Amino acid sequence: MFCYQCEQTARTDTSVGCNTERGNCGKDAQTSDLQDLLIYAVKGIAQYNQLARENGKADNEASNFILKAMFTTLTNVNFNAARFTAMLQEASEIRDRVKAAAGDKAASATGPATWVIPSEVGELLAQAEMAAVRSGEAEVGEDIIGLRALILYGAKGVSAYAYHALMLDQQDDDVYAGIEKSLAFLAEEPADIGALVGQALELGNVNLRVMEMLDAGNTGKFGTPEPSAVRVAPTAGKAILVSGHDMADLAALLEQTKDTGINVYTHGEMLPAHSYPELKKYDHLAGNYGGAWQDQQTEFADFPGPILMTSNCIIEPGPSYRSRIFTAGPVGWPGVRHIENHDFSTLIQAAKATPGFAQDGDDKTITIGFGRDAVLGVAGTVVDAVKAGAIKHFFLVGGCDGADSGRNYYSDFVEQTPDDTIILTLGCAKYRFNDQDLGEIGGIPRLLDMGQCNDSYSAVQVAVALAGAFECEVNDLPLSLVVSWFEQKAAAVLLTLLALNIKGIRLGPTLPAFITPAVLDVLVENFDIKANTTPEADLKSILQKAS
Amino acid sequence: MTKTHSVRLTTRDHQEISFNCGEDEHLIEAAEKANITLPSSCLEGNCGACHGACKSGDYELKSHREDALPHEEGGILMCRTFPKSDITVEVPSDLAHITSGPVAERTSEVVSVEDIGGAVRRLVLRVLPDANGDMGPQFEPGQFMELEIPGTDVRRAYSLANAPNWEGLMEFLIRIQPNGKFSTWVDTQAKAGDTVRIKGPEGAFVIQTGTLNARRFVAGGTGIAPMFSMLTQMAEFQDSNESRLYFGVNTEDDLFYLDQIEALKTQLPNLTVTVCVWKPSENWQGFSGSPVDAFAQDLKDDIAKGVQPEVYLCGPPGLVDATEETAEKSGLPHDNVFCERFLPA
Repeated sequence: MFCYQCEQTARTDTSVGCNTERGNCGKDAQTSDLQDLLIYAVKGIAQYNQLARENGKADNEASNFILKAMFTTLTNVNFNAARFTAMLQEASEIRDRVKAAAGDKAASATGPATWVIPSEVGELLAQAEMAAVRSGEAEVGEDIIGLRALILYGAKGVSAYAYHALMLDQQDDDVYAGIEKSLAFLAEEPADIGALVGQALELGNVNLRVMEMLDAGNTGKFGTPEPSAVRVAPTAGKAILVSGHDMADLAALLEQTKDTGINVYTHGEMLPAHSYPELKKYDHLAGNYGGAWQDQQTEFADFPGPILMTSNCIIEPGPSYRSRIFTAGPVGWPGVRHIENHDFSTLIQAAKATPGFAQDGDDKTITIGFGRDAVLGVAGTVVDAVKAGAIKHFFLVGGCDGADSGRNYYSDFVEQTPDDTIILTLGCAKYRFNDQDLGEIGGIPRLLDMGQCNDSYSAVQVAVALAGAFECEVNDLPLSLVVSWFEQKAAAVLLTLLALNIKGIRLGPTLPAFITPAVLDVLVENFDIKANTTPEADLKSILQKAS
Repeated sequence: MTKTHSVRLTTRDHQEISFNCGEDEHLIEAAEKANITLPSSCLEGNCGACHGACKSGDYELKSHREDALPHEEGGILMCRTFPKSDITVEVPSDLAHITSGPVAERTSEVVSVEDIGGAVRRLVLRVLPDANGDMGPQFEPGQFMELEIPGTDVRRAYSLANAPNWEGLMEFLIRIQPNGKFSTWVDTQAKAGDTVRIKGPEGAFVIQTGTLNARRFVAGGTGIAPMFSMLTQMAEFQDSNESRLYFGVNTEDDLFYLDQIEALKTQLPNLTVTVCVWKPSENWQGFSGSPVDAFAQDLKDDIAKGVQPEVYLCGPPGLVDATEETAEKSGLPHDNVFCERFLPA
């Protein structure tokens, strides 16, 4: 195996990437190789579907398969080798179907499109090297490989968000075409730096549309997020914990547990559920339990009921809760029960058969729900406060959390922000500081929680609206982006920010391993992208520049 | 004063556990004092549930049933092992199956007792929830429970035959043994509604998750129970591993569960089944011989094709030993073989 797609990938003085029997995420070599092969097969589907699209015969079912297959290979999504062998066989059938739709044009497709996908596991694995992310490095060098990886990982993130949107009944042919174009581009093994950077930015634009669809899907189904106090303590009674990102799974579960006496708790990135009117209307959506994903092994072990892991961010289930954790959607772990089609009956049965919370915890709440409508609803006050000098600067501090100790940077950073600044946050990185009482400025809380990483569109809209109010470009706003990344969804958001020409982003806690020094030079030159130093120094630099 | 020695255990998944043990105590009880619950059952050297292998150090292995002891170098039964120096022991369990604190004990009630042929009864129990509705810990396919004859303190260990579920249902296949205390109770007295104390789940004979390896299940008689649990869960989880079940009995009259096996085949398209009769009548159309014979024939083909299957064995010691020997001779790595030997008690 070789994998360097996430922030926790192995790094030594002389090498990067996980290349032993098991990656740092817990993915074994066999599963990693099968993931690479699935991506290779999916490129072939994309090649043919692009041609079929030209014929007016695009196969959107095939596009949906691409989304799910790509999502399944994200960090901390699916560790079940059997799922990948099954998806490879499915990919083989779908590719044949799409090839037929491509008609005479199919003959022009080469590489992944023509791969004969074996059905036997040993034969599959024997071909893993061909599909490895660094295949061809000897010919084209590490910079080209790094840029290809940036596009591939970005495309994985875009696909994951598009899959979320699909779960909320949102789809768009242009998005399918955009994702397939990037995969077909990679299938051609491009080696021109300009073309690679151009494709990466084009993908960033596709992702902007995907984020818009996701926003429309969430608000369309669940209403506009509104500022809400969320209980972060248990309530006595039977309990189910929902983690991951999938609001559609949560909505279905809330409906099925209605009137059962079972309380449903959110975990990690499901916290924003409490701000949606159509979800918070359920009285048994009882609160939020625990923090970000990397603490799940302790928190799930202590939780006195079953756990539903939706969409992504699973890590190896401990023996004490392995029998009571369930996966849904693209998620999988060997030996863990998977739920299809929102049939939560076994999960509910498990909740009844486990003890639940014996007593109420102390009353404690946090406030969330400052999506774009809530923030823009007070835009006039905000603009006046800026003009009057009461608000000097805005920080967007958000993204993924992780176990790395260097991530204390973000809690320290927020703690040290001056009292006349506002912090917008999203993603699970907020668990580092969302219990801090930062006070208010003229009635506006200094810490505004805008939602999941999936809600990045909200942040972009707020930035654009503020730029409109101040009659300037986003880059001229007193706004700094301090972005914490972990996996490929963050890569997609980064490409969107770059496509929007947002400059001066601070990216940490460490830069992606696939960004080579030469590629970093390109990003610094064009986008003034910065690596974290220390919270003190970075804060000083930002505020000095602003003044 | 009795001397105390250090015991260092290495689990199958290469984790280490250490505790101290006096010369006058066996490894299981010393571990228990350190809040470590090692796999065990009878504590009398009769069942083999606590077998392991001593890799260094001196010890005394006290009286035990010979066929409960695995035929490997340094083979021990931890309930009969008393250290004479610091020792290191390998146990065939993953760390996940070595629990802290006592094994759970619960009350269950008999749902049904059914004669399924071949002098075997299918006993179905339902765990009674406690005041809080808690059904207690879930079992894993392949694990066993200790069942207590009501009104006595006589307990016998039986493998679970059904897949884990949240309704508290537990199924066991009980062969009626002449003079068998528990089986006689099942045969002559047990009825729906009786309450039975149960202890468990216990045991480290579980399926390896996350592999794509072919799987071979070799079962003698009611040794099919844990295999049935494993295969049912594989069907529920839609595991695609190519699998073969070799189910052996002595005569056709001993056969049972054939309808259930047929039903399982429809749920697991990658499963083939060989029913083996050791001493068949002239009318028998199936495989004649032991399940080890059938397994050995296929293993030869597997090895020739470069396939190294995982092998799961459950049955009387003779069958387990013969299968292990077959696997070893064919060059199958020792780590690919997982076994549970049962002994009549």
